[in-house]
Amino acid sequence: MSLSNTRTLMAELRQRMGEDDPMPSRREPQRIPDPPVRVYPKPRRPSRFAKEAAAHTTALVGIGRVGTRYATSVVLQFQAELAVAHSAVATVLPDEWAAENGLLSLNSRVEDHRQFLLRPDLGRRLDEDSLSRLREQATKGVDIQPILADGLSAVACMGSGVALLEHLTAECEQRGWTVGTPMCARFARVWLEDEIGQEVGAKVAVILLGERPGLGTGDGLSAYMVYKPEVGKTDSDRNMISNIHQRGIPPPEAAHRLALMAGAMLEQVTSGVTLDLGPLTTELGDAAGTGLREPQVREPLVFVGEEGEGR
Amino acid sequence: MILEPLLPSILSVRRIPNADPALLRAYGADPEKHTSLGLLTCDQDDPVYVALDEATKHASVDVVFAKSFWAGAGSASGPLSGEVLGVIAASDPAEIDEGLAAMIRCLEHDACFYGANDDGSIAVFPHVISSLGHYLSAEAGLPVGSAMAYLVAPPMEATIGLDAALKAADVTAAKVFTPPTETNFAAAWLTGSLPDCEAAAVAYAEAVVAVGREPRQL
Amino acid sequence: MRSTIRGVGYSFDTVKEVLAKANPPKSGDDLAGVSASSAVERTAARAVLADMTLRHLRNNPVVPYEQDELTRLVEDTLDEQAFKAVGHLTVGQFREWLLESSTTGAMIRSISLGLTPEIVAATAKLMSNMDLLVAGAKCRVIVRANNTFGLPGRLSSRVQPNHPTDDVQGIMHSAREGLAYGCGDAVLGVNPSTDTPESTAEILRELHDLRVRNGIPTQHCVLSHVIVQMKALSELKCPMDLMFQSFAGSEKANAAFGINVSLMDEAYAMMRELGSASGPNCMYFETGQGSALSSDAHHGADQVTMEARCYGFARRYKPFLVNTVVGFIGPEYLEDGPQITRAALEDHFMGKLMGLPMGCDACFTYHSSMSQDELESLKVLLGAAGCSYLMSMPVGDDIMLNYQSTSYHDIPSVRMLLGKRPTPEFDAWLSSVGIMDGAVPGPRFGDVTVLR
Repeated sequence: MSLSNTRTLMAELRQRMGEDDPMPSRREPQRIPDPPVRVYPKPRRPSRFAKEAAAHTTALVGIGRVGTRYATSVVLQFQAELAVAHSAVATVLPDEWAAENGLLSLNSRVEDHRQFLLRPDLGRRLDEDSLSRLREQATKGVDIQPILADGLSAVACMGSGVALLEHLTAECEQRGWTVGTPMCARFARVWLEDEIGQEVGAKVAVILLGERPGLGTGDGLSAYMVYKPEVGKTDSDRNMISNIHQRGIPPPEAAHRLALMAGAMLEQVTSGVTLDLGPLTTELGDAAGTGLREPQVREPLVFVGEEGEGR
Repeated sequence: MILEPLLPSILSVRRIPNADPALLRAYGADPEKHTSLGLLTCDQDDPVYVALDEATKHASVDVVFAKSFWAGAGSASGPLSGEVLGVIAASDPAEIDEGLAAMIRCLEHDACFYGANDDGSIAVFPHVISSLGHYLSAEAGLPVGSAMAYLVAPPMEATIGLDAALKAADVTAAKVFTPPTETNFAAAWLTGSLPDCEAAAVAYAEAVVAVGREPRQL
Repeated sequence: MRSTIRGVGYSFDTVKEVLAKANPPKSGDDLAGVSASSAVERTAARAVLADMTLRHLRNNPVVPYEQDELTRLVEDTLDEQAFKAVGHLTVGQFREWLLESSTTGAMIRSISLGLTPEIVAATAKLMSNMDLLVAGAKCRVIVRANNTFGLPGRLSSRVQPNHPTDDVQGIMHSAREGLAYGCGDAVLGVNPSTDTPESTAEILRELHDLRVRNGIPTQHCVLSHVIVQMKALSELKCPMDLMFQSFAGSEKANAAFGINVSLMDEAYAMMRELGSASGPNCMYFETGQGSALSSDAHHGADQVTMEARCYGFARRYKPFLVNTVVGFIGPEYLEDGPQITRAALEDHFMGKLMGLPMGCDACFTYHSSMSQDELESLKVLLGAAGCSYLMSMPVGDDIMLNYQSTSYHDIPSVRMLLGKRPTPEFDAWLSSVGIMDGAVPGPRFGDVTVLR
């Protein structure tokens, strides 16, 4: 707030009317801070653009802005999505979980979670104890050996892992195949299926493991399948189905697709880039080779007050 | 020397942080809403009215009482009385402090009478407010934020001055106070765009000086 | 080669070993088994390195001349006159010369074509983060395509409107949003899901139309494999302002990417003939620490040195953009916030020192130990280091590649914090449509309806 202009106007008038002496200068006033003005929240209108874009992409567009930054609700949703992803990665599969679920418990050579993240090579091989346990307890010479594993999300493994394993076993048995001993590997990377499959002499090995979480997701499983598993197989020897969870490909559907894929491997006696999944395109969808993965559906994660259910 | 600022003297400033409800009611405040009062006396009344309005722009205060005393500063009831008492009220003493600070600043540096003749015995108040606060806007019946020329002079000078002001610019009279008033001056509140209000105030002051120089024209 | 710290002697057999052990801690070097065993050994290696001449480093590349075409490329095309000006200096002396106040960006530019990747990597290892910022900010690399990129006081950005199924409408919605926040002056660049010439051409055409329809002075690019882009360009005749390829630091690692020098020569020649941008610089490369090790093609060298070797390759093609993707490859290469921050500053410095227009995709995957706050801080550091451009996407979330990078909102934030502006041509366009009003957001800031 500035002073009024009156003093200046009078100084000019006075000069115009013939007064030569300058007007006495005024004392410098002490500054009065701007008055605190009551602040009203801005109304937020849903953006038409956001609605229009949502039909085509799950990218968070049309979210508006405050200055150059995000609105509070956007920050909270984002932080919730990030937290879900981070906590899925950080969760360690409990020691006794496999046994409690009637699964043969195996461990890779990894000793702790940090080492699991930093040493993918150790996650691809079984430790000594596990190897002898596998040799003693697992059925050998099977058609298919499914392996449940934690991978990068123990949350996903403990979530729909057992269901996926059971559905897959049923699908395989229905086709008359022998299915290996149900087992679960901890601190496991994809290539661990090579050593396990080799040890049990399986024709096909498939590892069902938690996939690297994305924003807001931490419960997705991927399945990697290889024909004639043995140490030394590479990524180009494998076929995979990802995005297995309730909002993506539900476990029963995924199990069905995996069985079709295994059928193709047994028939063509190969896997990976040389496997022809062409005839199964309709049933297999993305796994048949487009490599495309449907976007994750974004769901609001944050509710305050009554709407939220207590945990 | 003409148009020399005649600076107002603030004679007393006090605040009552927690006023008695009876006192609050007596001075026009609302005990439901106000707890604190700020009071100021001064030897010039119109600058105080401007200053009270200024206070409403700088703090959450209401002007609850503003009255000039009979016959002006020359007939004051005591050395602290001057010719006006202004009272602001607020829910919080901190607001009162802000409001009083704004008033003091306005009175010390801005709003004042000017001498319209050499010895200053004719006084004119040709003040332009660029943006009204909620006190004077309510008094004048104008929207908050309007520009207003607040013009005061002795009866004859004021009348000639008002005519000149109204003709000098595109302004309308929001209120005209014909004599006698408490202090025996006459006044007018004119509104329009800010440049028009300024032109009107200058014409008013010029006419007041001219009347002083030539009181009898026939 | 020996040095002594508090009476304890440390010895190193090869230049490669010294380079690796002098490296600040990186999980990728641990994974490769080449890192120092302790902070003291690391310092001992640095002492040896500081005393080594640039000529000695040139004579001892981490992959031998006979085994690797990148080593041969660097050695055979090195600017001898430029090398002679500094070859006699030790790495320690060279570091000091770079940091002297009297050493200007133009002086650095005059010798940059005489530096080998090993020299540049060695220098980075003797620098603290603040050294990297100060020296990196001196280097100016100015290039031109449809706009002028890399000028002082400028910070550009790539709009990265990726979509998991290449839905063109989805891509366009995201691209328009990015432009409305003043992003996209480096490039409108899409990583496609489908690596085919047809889909590359389709996305390129849509981006081109968006650019032309709105008169936006920028470039467009689809980041498919270079062979796919060559087909799209020569057979499908689509407009292509920039051609993209990922680079790694050895012949073997590049073979895993399906490229080599002669293929890139061919691609570059084709682009110079058929590319649609108006300026002379028409290539866009991406690199990132750890890519050589991930294909077991690091030849026992550390990942910073292997990264510098990418730049030795890239500068042959006078690129318009080089981008180091830091933190994308996972915690086994860069474990956490401090390592990712360090790598970003190293790569920016090394690239600029070698004369490349460096940008940085400062990012993390969700299994790295980096927080969103650390990532935001890193963007400010990169801006202060004079990094030429950053990525940008909605909320920094790449819905296709599933990682976290810079957001559309971050670009104007960093620009305003540091007093930076986009490229002059783009800057003028932003003001003309009301997205910006000079340095501050304009009346249409964030308003996608500005874009037709």
